[in-house]
Amino acid sequence: MTDLASPLLRVLSLWRGRAVWLLAGALITMAALAAGMALMGLSGGLVAGLVTGTALGVPALLRTLGPVRVVLRYLERLVAHDATFRALADLRVWFFRGLAGSAAGGLGFRRAGDVLARLVNDVEALDGLYIRILLPLSCAVLLVVALPLLLLRLDPRVAAGVAVLFVIAAFVLPVLAARASAGAGHRLSMATAALRVAALDAISGLREVRAFGAEGRMLALVQAREGALLDAQRDVSARGARAGAAAFLCGQAAILVVLAAATLRWVPDTPAAIAATFLVVAGFEAVAGLTLAGSQAGHASAAAVRVLEAAEGAPPVPDPAHPAPLPAGSALRFEAVQFRWQPDRASVFDAFSLDIPAGTRIAVLGPSGSGKSTLAALALKVAAPQAGRVLLGGMDIATLSGDAVRSRIAWLSQATHLFDDTIRNNLLLARPDADEAALWAALESAHIAAFVRSLPDGLDAWVGEAGAKVSGGQGRRLALARALLSAAPILILDEPCVGLDAETERDFMATLNEVADGRTLVLIAHRLTGVERLDRIWRLSAGHAVAAAG
Amino acid sequence: MTESKTASRTWMRAQSKVGRRAAMPVVALGMVGCTLAIGQAWCAGFALQAALMPGPLTNRLAADPLLLLGGFAALAVLRAGLSMLAEHAAFEAGATARRRLRTDAMTRLLAAGPSLLRGRHSGDLTSVVVDRIEAVDGLFARWMPAATLASASPMLVLVATALADPVAALVLGGCGMLVPVAMALSGIGAAVASKRQFAALAHLQARFLDRVRGIATIVMHGRAGDEALALGRAADELRRRTMRVLRVAFLSSVALDLAMALAMIVIALRYGGQALTGTLASPGTALFVLLLVPEFFAPLRAFAAAYQERFHAGSAADALAALPPPPVPVPEQPVRTVQARGVTVSFEAVRLTWDAARGPALDGLSFRVPAGETLVLVGPSGSGKSTVMEILLGFVRPEAGRVTFNGADIASLIPQALSRMTAWIGQRPILFAGTIRENIRFARPEASDAEVEEAARLARVDGFAAGLPLGLDTHVGEVGYGLSGGQAQRVAIARAFLKNAPLLLLDEPTVHLDPTTEAEVLESLRRLTIGRTVIMASHSSAAHGFGGRRLDLRAGRVAA
Repeated sequence: MTDLASPLLRVLSLWRGRAVWLLAGALITMAALAAGMALMGLSGGLVAGLVTGTALGVPALLRTLGPVRVVLRYLERLVAHDATFRALADLRVWFFRGLAGSAAGGLGFRRAGDVLARLVNDVEALDGLYIRILLPLSCAVLLVVALPLLLLRLDPRVAAGVAVLFVIAAFVLPVLAARASAGAGHRLSMATAALRVAALDAISGLREVRAFGAEGRMLALVQAREGALLDAQRDVSARGARAGAAAFLCGQAAILVVLAAATLRWVPDTPAAIAATFLVVAGFEAVAGLTLAGSQAGHASAAAVRVLEAAEGAPPVPDPAHPAPLPAGSALRFEAVQFRWQPDRASVFDAFSLDIPAGTRIAVLGPSGSGKSTLAALALKVAAPQAGRVLLGGMDIATLSGDAVRSRIAWLSQATHLFDDTIRNNLLLARPDADEAALWAALESAHIAAFVRSLPDGLDAWVGEAGAKVSGGQGRRLALARALLSAAPILILDEPCVGLDAETERDFMATLNEVADGRTLVLIAHRLTGVERLDRIWRLSAGHAVAAAG
Repeated sequence: MTESKTASRTWMRAQSKVGRRAAMPVVALGMVGCTLAIGQAWCAGFALQAALMPGPLTNRLAADPLLLLGGFAALAVLRAGLSMLAEHAAFEAGATARRRLRTDAMTRLLAAGPSLLRGRHSGDLTSVVVDRIEAVDGLFARWMPAATLASASPMLVLVATALADPVAALVLGGCGMLVPVAMALSGIGAAVASKRQFAALAHLQARFLDRVRGIATIVMHGRAGDEALALGRAADELRRRTMRVLRVAFLSSVALDLAMALAMIVIALRYGGQALTGTLASPGTALFVLLLVPEFFAPLRAFAAAYQERFHAGSAADALAALPPPPVPVPEQPVRTVQARGVTVSFEAVRLTWDAARGPALDGLSFRVPAGETLVLVGPSGSGKSTVMEILLGFVRPEAGRVTFNGADIASLIPQALSRMTAWIGQRPILFAGTIRENIRFARPEASDAEVEEAARLARVDGFAAGLPLGLDTHVGEVGYGLSGGQAQRVAIARAFLKNAPLLLLDEPTVHLDPTTEAEVLESLRRLTIGRTVIMASHSSAAHGFGGRRLDLRAGRVAA
């Protein structure tokens, strides 16, 4: 139980600042429940009382309870939703901050956008925590005390029987459902992942599939993986249905107990017994959703674990306690750097040294896996060498803060993201205080100003999700304009043309020759197109930089 | 925009038709469940009457309290069983729909072929096939049955009430009518509420996803703090706007609550008044009718709760409606295969235009490659090399002219026959999730282990595989061991060796490799070309030293 609840409790603790709203939501929900119960109990009791002649009129309370309940239900919905929206915002901001500071954020640097997208799904799985689990739970807590107390006046045995059944329906069965779902949740996510891999393979390999006539095989594989997922879901659904039916039977048994107590005259006060029947009906109905919520709790808890791990992970390279001020120079120098990504992986660099004086234009070439991108990661303080030093302006960057180092280096790679926002806002990311003239100057340098001018909305045109509304070449040029807009004296271009056709790549490289005068330019690529203008060309080989003919 | 809206609405309508039929078992079980609930209310009502008025009663069945309590219990057990069955039926309705839609979507994508990847990202299409289709489950499993039950079940309850007390039935029916009327009067129903709420949430989630995907870019610019604040502000602004809408929209739920409370109170007052004046004929009936009131409104509330499922499905409908059209069944043609020791390929005045604004990609191109010979197509980007490849692979058809294999027009060959004759290696081979062995075997699933290993040896895959943890059985692909570009290209060459097709198409196979790797891969490719007809597209430098005839292409024509 604790291992299931503790991640969820940790997420709840993030909402401390919203305690007032969340509490208000719970209180109003409980008040609405109380009003509803009173309405049911009084109407039942009234009829009974009138029949037996023990009641002489309609109590005024009944007339007012109806409207009161309606108003309370309305308030409940409003406050609960308002509180949920606040909590959602908090959770996202917290997650974003955590991710930015943790090693998981570095995933984005290593092109794992899909992993991040799945984490976002996990955050969304926590959205229903308050309305679907917490609010019904607060009702259950109220009822587990109130219901037996109300019935106690009637008959202690009846009260005890109903209390036991209520505890089973509102607490035991949901917890059992939650436990069962924890195991099933793992199976479900494995099955979903397997289906996703099969579909992604078939779609990204459409050329191979067509060339090898494998359409039937690929479709069959997707169907088989889907079948496995459906089997897992069917299990979960059947288990949920059984738990739900058991909870329903508990409620029915409780009604039967009170009904029998009235009918078979175990209690002297018949009208009260009839009122109690109505109370029990309403009480069990209020917690009917808890079993379903329980069967979702396992899923939510697993999601919470992944979210917490990602957002609370250690930073990839901790900043020093007292960062030194940035040096004036911007020469970049790698000194006997030794690096491996993970202890069990082969080392990328072993005593690697490279000197990049300020203002020079160099290329670093090498096949994939030779550590080209690692070079950028080390310079940007996304990774730290196990031995050796990286120097910026003669200063070991280990003594500087990460943000300070990155303020000197503009980075452009295939993982550079264009946001689903206006062109203006995408550019302003690099320099929030840039004026209109500066934006256009950057666009001109990147040879994309004419295109932006041709758009009806100009700078305020929307770029679209991941740059979907501009072509690959245009997107890369917008990203270049953003990099040029920043005041950083060092420009690192890490395979900036991956995914572009050869002609577009050459044009882009030619543009690079005209820009960045006076800045240091580090071009990382697997090959050159032949149009680049460079001072030095280095080839990475076995963890060393070897001067290449250029 | 409106066109896509119409498409998605048409999709929704077509699905509703199928979905309603599939929901029939759930609806039937729900109706039976409702009938049992009415029976329970009757048992409970008359059991309570026995408690209130002991003594002889006209109705003999209603006389025995034990029988009534037993009936109540038996019906409860039946209802529990029924609810499990209904849950199962609902799951199957959703599962059947998802299975159908997913097969349909995959078939469309596979039929549309590689040209699809020009405009769309494979990740997006995958999420349509996986996530979007999962999201329509609620539409079929919850919403469709709930929509039918929302009108059918209250009718059932109303009939039962009318049999017991026609006046009470009038009250109940009147209050029930209030619900849609009040929704219409408030001008904004549960529908709009859910829609707005869902749309707003979807917008926030899209923005959040976008920022998380680009988190490296944000961190690199040192803007994480600012972005977090902006994200919080956007969420808060969204909350304010959404709440303004919800304040009005929740009034429709108020209408539902009000109608139920009104029905409850009016009916209770009616029987109360009768009891006071001593004209209440049957307290059992009165209690029965009172117990029916919640049953009357329960399906309406279930319907309101299921409404969001419809809007979950709404965005999925947009994506699914935008998929390429289903494949046209191939007309029955005399199936032709080409008897081939070797294949002679010829292009005869072939013309093809991708985009009218940019002119033809191939402009009356003609050439001939005799069996067993090699042709290297050389030319700058845009000269038509890739278009030649796409035609030979059968991805597109020329507008004019003929392409023949041993004299037979390839338009008359069924795709399977075409793919059996050709092996192809592109710029960036896709490795599927699985072992290297499985990836090679992809070319010919029925190949023996020995044949796969021989292909691996010929393509020099065994050389680097020996250094991997499990050799040829090492997992590669998205979640596996990453292979370098050169290594992946060797796996592609092994596929071609294993397939052993008479015609080999090479589409700039080394363009993304560094020069050293390029030389090694070209060496393996040369071995593969022996005894086959080969057409290779290449940038000029790589073509040097690769034997065969050169054909220079410029703007879709043979350069003079």
